[in-house]
Amino acid sequence: MDSEDNVGRRFQQRKGDSILNCPSSGIVENSIYEKVPGTGMSSESMFKMRNGVDHFYGSGWDTIVSLNPSGNFGGSSVVPRNEFPDSNYSVVLENQTVNFPSESGLVDMMPKIPSFGSGSYPEMVSSFPVTECGPITGTIRDPTYARNNVSGFEMALTNVADSQEHCQNSEDGVVGVSPNGKRKRKVSMGASPKNIEVECQKDPPEDISEFPNEEYDKKQKFEQNAGANLRNKQVVKQAKDSSTTAEPSKENYIHVRAKRGQATNSHSLAERVRRERISERMRLLQELVPGCNKITGKAVMLDEIINYVQSLQQQVEFLSMKLATVNPELDTDIDRILSKDILQFRGNNPAALGIGSGLSSSHPFPGFSPGTFGVPGANPPYHPLPQALWNNDLQSILQMGFDANPPSSNLGPNGPSKMEL
Amino acid sequence: MTTQIMPSNPNSIKSRFTYRFVRALKKLNKSRGVSSSMKETYRRYHMIRVASYASMASAVGSKRAWSRSVLWRIKKKSRFHALRRRKASENPRNDINFHQDNVLRKLIPGGEDMEFCRLLNETAHYIKCLRTQVQIMKNIVDHCSN
Repeated sequence: MDSEDNVGRRFQQRKGDSILNCPSSGIVENSIYEKVPGTGMSSESMFKMRNGVDHFYGSGWDTIVSLNPSGNFGGSSVVPRNEFPDSNYSVVLENQTVNFPSESGLVDMMPKIPSFGSGSYPEMVSSFPVTECGPITGTIRDPTYARNNVSGFEMALTNVADSQEHCQNSEDGVVGVSPNGKRKRKVSMGASPKNIEVECQKDPPEDISEFPNEEYDKKQKFEQNAGANLRNKQVVKQAKDSSTTAEPSKENYIHVRAKRGQATNSHSLAERVRRERISERMRLLQELVPGCNKITGKAVMLDEIINYVQSLQQQVEFLSMKLATVNPELDTDIDRILSKDILQFRGNNPAALGIGSGLSSSHPFPGFSPGTFGVPGANPPYHPLPQALWNNDLQSILQMGFDANPPSSNLGPNGPSKMEL
Repeated sequence: MTTQIMPSNPNSIKSRFTYRFVRALKKLNKSRGVSSSMKETYRRYHMIRVASYASMASAVGSKRAWSRSVLWRIKKKSRFHALRRRKASENPRNDINFHQDNVLRKLIPGGEDMEFCRLLNETAHYIKCLRTQVQIMKNIVDHCSN
């Protein structure tokens, strides 16, 4: 009877010397409800809680059986109390399969339980046998009846305590007990005839009471090892899966909004984010490239950008060709060259700015007021004078085939520069 | 026209580019041959163009991918740069039926293996720097032709 001894030891640790003196139901239920917070506070994950539940199970059930030989109670009174946690557990099972993921936040509610269990218990117990007269036969116990049972139990609780604490307590009990309840129910289904037989003898001697107890423990262990453990693992795994699958999807829904009809898997979300970024860059480029303001459409804008870059590179080619042909006398200082464009393009269109203000490498060109910062690539369409100068210089100095000078190629970014290609 | 000299930031891209480019032009002028043949002009044109790109890239620094690519390319291919330049200048004209992305990737230095979003970023910066480059070169040409 090592299991009995274990149970007794555990029970002694828990309740001390109050086994024989107190009413059995009160002891059992107190031990139950004091065990639940212990498990709940010590464990955060469901698996640990299940481990704690094993202890709880042992305390909750076996103390009753061990109390049977104390002789203070009639078998009829023992049986419903025996049934009471049973029904409670089976209900717990029923509730648990539905509510398990949502009750994960109960751990912080746990410390409220001992006061409830210690203070207001007897009324609850007294109100209970009314509802549990039915489930004397543990095999016939069905979920609906068990649910009724729990509803009665909860109603009793509401009578005793205030509603919120009661709800927390009942939920705590539900969650902490839940895998155990399944096992318990199964065990009681298997071993119920002998249990009932023993309980119906009204004053069972210890050897008889220990015999089904032993057998019950065996069955319990068997169930625990073979079936219920697996089932508990399944339940735990299911709960974990549901919690892990529910949370990231929620996060995704929170962070990236998916409109109606849009795909919600991670690839399409990432693709949508990328497309948004691309459109943002496109808008930035649209401000940069002249003549691109009224264009909507990515392909046309890409054409514009390509043409503009090509025209700028052709301007560089053309200017370097021109610099190669002329004989530059570069004795003048750089400031003069730099200030020349200011004077040259002073008072020109302020729309031609954009280099100094838009440079992302944080070079704001402080020497030049932004309005007078002329951009040759953007200026010539609005100012024919430098273009004419350019044409004169080009025609006079170079006799080469640059018929379309770069400023004129900027007039129509689609037209001349493409023809030039 | 030259009476008013605005104070210029020596750290700006524009002034840095101008300084480097003028220095490169002076160096090229020193080594300039007497012959003004077409071939010599073409060679000078290539060198000036490479000098302008290189000075712009070095003015930008290694912060940007396109400037890094330009500098790396110039450093690596400086020995065969005339041959490579011809190839590089011929290639985009043959690739007309390429996709637009690919065209843009070929236009932006170092943009072949870039992500598209980053390519657009680099394109924006490259356009700004090219504008500055064109403007400064234009000013220099104006200054020299005057």
